[in-house]
Amino acid sequence: MRRVAVVLLTALLATARLTPAVQNAARAVETLPTRQDSLKFAVLGDNGTGEQPEYDVGQQMAAARTTFPFDTVLMLGDNMYGRQDPQDFVVKFERPYAALLQAGVRFYATLGNHDDQNNRFYKPFNMGGERYFTFVKKDVRFFVLDTNQLDPKQQAWFDEALQRSDDRWRICIFHHPIYSDAARHGSDVSLRVVLEPLLVKYGVDVVFSGHDHVYERLKPQKGINYFVSGSGGQLRKGDVRPSGLTAAYYDQDQSFMLVEVAGNEMFFEAVSRSGAKVDSGVIRREPAGARNSR
Amino acid sequence: MKPHALATHHVGIHRRHRSAAARLLDRFLHRYLALPVGVGIALVWANTTPERYFVFAHSLAFLVNEIGMALFVGLIMQEIVEAVMPGGALHSWRRWSLPLLAAAGGMLGSAGFYLAYVHGHYESILAAGWPMACAVDIAAAYYVLKTILPRSGALPFVLLLAIATDLVGMLIIAPQYPTIAVHGGGLGVMLVALGIAGAMRALKVRSFWPYLVICGTLSWIALYREGLHPAFALVPIVPFLPHEPRRLDLLADPPDDDAVHHFEHEWNTLVQVILFFFGLVNGGVLLRGYDTGTWALLLGALVGRPLGILTAVGAAVAAGWHLPRGLGWRQLLVAALASSSGFTFALFFATGVLSTGPLLAQLTIGAVGTAAGSLLAIGAARLFRVGRFAR
Repeated sequence: MRRVAVVLLTALLATARLTPAVQNAARAVETLPTRQDSLKFAVLGDNGTGEQPEYDVGQQMAAARTTFPFDTVLMLGDNMYGRQDPQDFVVKFERPYAALLQAGVRFYATLGNHDDQNNRFYKPFNMGGERYFTFVKKDVRFFVLDTNQLDPKQQAWFDEALQRSDDRWRICIFHHPIYSDAARHGSDVSLRVVLEPLLVKYGVDVVFSGHDHVYERLKPQKGINYFVSGSGGQLRKGDVRPSGLTAAYYDQDQSFMLVEVAGNEMFFEAVSRSGAKVDSGVIRREPAGARNSR
Repeated sequence: MKPHALATHHVGIHRRHRSAAARLLDRFLHRYLALPVGVGIALVWANTTPERYFVFAHSLAFLVNEIGMALFVGLIMQEIVEAVMPGGALHSWRRWSLPLLAAAGGMLGSAGFYLAYVHGHYESILAAGWPMACAVDIAAAYYVLKTILPRSGALPFVLLLAIATDLVGMLIIAPQYPTIAVHGGGLGVMLVALGIAGAMRALKVRSFWPYLVICGTLSWIALYREGLHPAFALVPIVPFLPHEPRRLDLLADPPDDDAVHHFEHEWNTLVQVILFFFGLVNGGVLLRGYDTGTWALLLGALVGRPLGILTAVGAAVAAGWHLPRGLGWRQLLVAALASSSGFTFALFFATGVLSTGPLLAQLTIGAVGTAAGSLLAIGAARLFRVGRFAR
């Protein structure tokens, strides 16, 4: 009788692992697989302070790259704090990430509330002079938005760009999180009611935001995975108020993320300023047929 | 907001037969309560069930902000046209020169403080919000001064200052309307609208409906196609309506058969309902959305404008101008503080320039917060024993 129960339980668990809900949820992984043909990138937000923690994070990113050779960094906004004269670009960007820049890593920035709008013309940010834009890396299309102001023209552009995308993965990055459990800013609900219908309609897989100076991974909302990674230089220690939406968080030190997209899987790690892994997991995206039925 | 549009009109015979509830509704609609009540409900709603609130607000935003508010702007335009026509309060240079200088000083002060704060915090992205810091809530200024200094020169002084300031503000924000695309062809449609309005004026059409329905609609389409804020649709049409000079003795306008005043009487209640919804749709903001823009707006409106007004008037007096009769420096200080509330106009300017997002939220909180200017004026009047606090 006991053996029958064990067999039934095992079968039940095996079935559960195949259901879309479980496939979509992140689960912890020991290490990033570092597959040869995968897309590897790093993510950091709210970093441009020019202070020691930013430099420490930059060093950790460079160290991580020796074993995880990413060639792209997504910057989630507030890439520059305070004065933004030419010398500040050196102190707050070029020096902290000098090792990465020298290795040919390309940074792609989104505008935060502290960024001068003219920074979109700064070549190393690879924004092409645009407030919002899209680019492709392997089978991932990234959509970069300016959520300081979600004007009708940008909304129309986003709708059209999503519609045209037939890429396997669709990843959005914008500064202000539409889901966040941090106390200072939290979820921007006014943005959510505008953006979420589009994200759901076109089956966006993952959203990265900053603004709140913490790391947080949210439980998937309407099939979409949300990350807040806004402690690349700034930190608001102890700011997260975990709720039913919280999957994991880290608000004790600066952090950044390492991400690897391989086939239908996206592996991720959140790494602290001291190099400790504070969260990890894998997201398995639904097959194309299931995406269209969302 | 246009004060005389808010005024209780003289329907004494009917009033005697009104119930207390009807009188309360009348007071609500005519005494500048509709918009603050709308904002109050929106703030509570947005901070309790935000998703429901923002879905509701987004669904009504176009109808209220782009269409409904055209009536409100039309009434403001009526005020301005009647003030500048012969016999109007702004027609004489001697009458409006000092308020105009004060308005310029107030704008420089509020914009200067706002921009200095924003740039001091290296958030240049907020610079576009400076017109909101300049906005003056005409009705708030009117009722505060009517309460404190009912029979002094402060009332027309501040009203002229407020009208001039908001007129400039409207001219600045009209081309900044965030739109998807400019379709073109609007100029031709506008010329047709103006041609029809001119023909009706020549034919002495006194009913306001054809002007507003036919010409107003065409004008709205023209502005929308050109990517300009369509809430300004009645601005080019109102001058064609028959007018009589505005005296700025706002609560005492006698009933008459003039087409424009008829327009005002008919639409006042409707505009108040629109303002209620304007407050409801735009006033809701998550209170934790405060940030640099909030403080910049408060500083610009509550400190920069009064200082700018006092400095400009001081310079004018030093250059030989005279203060209006009954307006001393203490009264002027109270008047300057009474004009520091931007509330309705600051909200209107914000929605006219900014789109959904945290910048709008920051400035909305600041705009609502400028209502504190009315309290500052009352506090200053008590402190310096001005007007009704003199005894």
